[in-house]
Amino acid sequence: MTLKYENVSFTYPGATTGIFDISLEIDKGELLAIIGASGSGKSTILKLLAGFVSPDHGRIVIDGKDVSALSPESRRLGVVFQNYALFPHMRLWENVAYPLKVRGVARSERHARAVEMLDRVGMKSRADDLPAALSGGQQQRVALARALVFEPQGLLLDEPLSALDASLRVEMRDEILRVQRASGIATLLVTHDQEEALSIADKIAVMRDGRLIQIGTPRELYETPANAYVAGFVGQSNLWQGKVRSDGMVDTEIGAFACDTQGHSSGDAVTVFVRPERVLPAAAGGEGQDAGGDRPASHFSGAVDADRYLGPIRRIDLKVPGGLIRLETHLRDAVTSVRVPADAIRLLPAHRSQTGVFP
Amino acid sequence: MPIVAIAYFLFLFAPVLLLALGSFGESWSNTLLPTGFTWRWYEEVASDPSFRRAFVTSLQIVGLTCVLNVLVGLPLAYAIQVGAKGGVRLATRLVTLLPVAVPDLVLAFGFILVFSSDQLPWLGSFWLLAAGHLVLTLPYTVTALVADMEQLRLDEYEHAAATLGAPFLARIRDIVFPLLGPSLVSSMLTVAALSIGEFQLSNLIAGFLSRPYPVVLLQAFYGATGFACAATIVLLVLAAIASLASSLTSRLSNNKKAAAA
Repeated sequence: MTLKYENVSFTYPGATTGIFDISLEIDKGELLAIIGASGSGKSTILKLLAGFVSPDHGRIVIDGKDVSALSPESRRLGVVFQNYALFPHMRLWENVAYPLKVRGVARSERHARAVEMLDRVGMKSRADDLPAALSGGQQQRVALARALVFEPQGLLLDEPLSALDASLRVEMRDEILRVQRASGIATLLVTHDQEEALSIADKIAVMRDGRLIQIGTPRELYETPANAYVAGFVGQSNLWQGKVRSDGMVDTEIGAFACDTQGHSSGDAVTVFVRPERVLPAAAGGEGQDAGGDRPASHFSGAVDADRYLGPIRRIDLKVPGGLIRLETHLRDAVTSVRVPADAIRLLPAHRSQTGVFP
Repeated sequence: MPIVAIAYFLFLFAPVLLLALGSFGESWSNTLLPTGFTWRWYEEVASDPSFRRAFVTSLQIVGLTCVLNVLVGLPLAYAIQVGAKGGVRLATRLVTLLPVAVPDLVLAFGFILVFSSDQLPWLGSFWLLAAGHLVLTLPYTVTALVADMEQLRLDEYEHAAATLGAPFLARIRDIVFPLLGPSLVSSMLTVAALSIGEFQLSNLIAGFLSRPYPVVLLQAFYGATGFACAATIVLLVLAAIASLASSLTSRLSNNKKAAAA
């Protein structure tokens, strides 16, 4: 049971926003997360699959069948909404049993199946309560149960954790993953929270201005972003405008970097990309052993502009001539100079940001 | 603040109080307050054929107006909430609110002009009076229902029900009616209160045999003071019941909305 977008385009009537030429595939049991800023079109992707809007071009295919023209009620997809949308006038078991009721399942059987489903999300004891008596996390569990009880062909999660407290979010994230894995269902997760996506998705698609810019595993996205936007959106990053000087050297506004320039020729405009945790504090003046292969590390010195204590790590902005270097370190010592190993550096296509630090 | 409130309260209820006193007073002429006590005036109102007929007519008009409000107002409000955007929404708002802004007199003249023609000779009929009351009360129904639908986030629940496999009619039955029930009842009671007291339009377009209570009430003021007071109190009691019930049910539906939010 796969969910598939084939060259799908959709623009809202009277507007220029929408999505353009999207192709995506979610396999059985796979969890694909769509991330992007608000207005990037990620919610539109979900609405198209759920059937609230129909594509202008292209096809939505569920399990090999074109469903582009079908109404939401004929698509057999479980949707968990941002606000859960539990029916306030129905008890929890009635909420969960509702999809069975409209399918004509007898009352005693649907009661049994609803209670069993509530048991699977740990809410069996509250089956006779009304939704208003529940906390956000509990409503989330019930919404998940309701979306899965009729054995849908796919599960759609629309910002499922955004209404929850930070402490509960991690717990519910694991819960969603557990239930999703147990039912082995193709799942689409729409979120603006990149950490949420990184932690539970098998694949992540990054959207910007209605277009897909990159799709890959969380690791691919984090380690090898396609461009500066993805690098800046997924995790923290250092991005500097630069120009390839010669083989193995790139000039930027903060100085020269030694790195692998394969695939670029001298004079090419590039963006130098380094994750903050790959920037290493160096003892002042001391030249530590470089772990960056045969190329030497690039060294920079400056003054601390901001030093944020986050518990396990510190996030430091180091002001160097020409710009800022962001770094993360677990070390407690003062930092005045840093080195960037050559293998921590990736060259991305040049982007137009003037600040050097993205976003 | 409390002084203003008390003064306003007195201003509002002093006439009602005087009417109540007058309706039980044996005689009331050239004195500040009536003298004596009697049930006579109520008995006379109850046995007066034209008042009895008007009372029944009023109840029928009120009932019919409520039913028509549900039949017309509910689908209209639903359509506005589901489909209308921007300009269309503004236009429907304007059209539904116009009868509130325009004086009843204008509406009545319009009715007289249109429905006294040979093609549409319905002036003075019971059904035309009901239609008039519908036009006057529909704005309140539609405005209240649209606002409640939005506040209840009805569209979200409907979307959810649709993804769970519920077709349109099932959604109306299982989601829209149960959630909207209290605000529907509360709207109908508001409509009833408005319709019971409506005078301007009714006075101009009602036929002799289909006069509602307030129109006949006017006649009472040409007779004995006690009779007029008693006849007015009857109307006031009806209006008070409708208003009270309306505010009680609207509190109930507010509780429900608070639970939904």
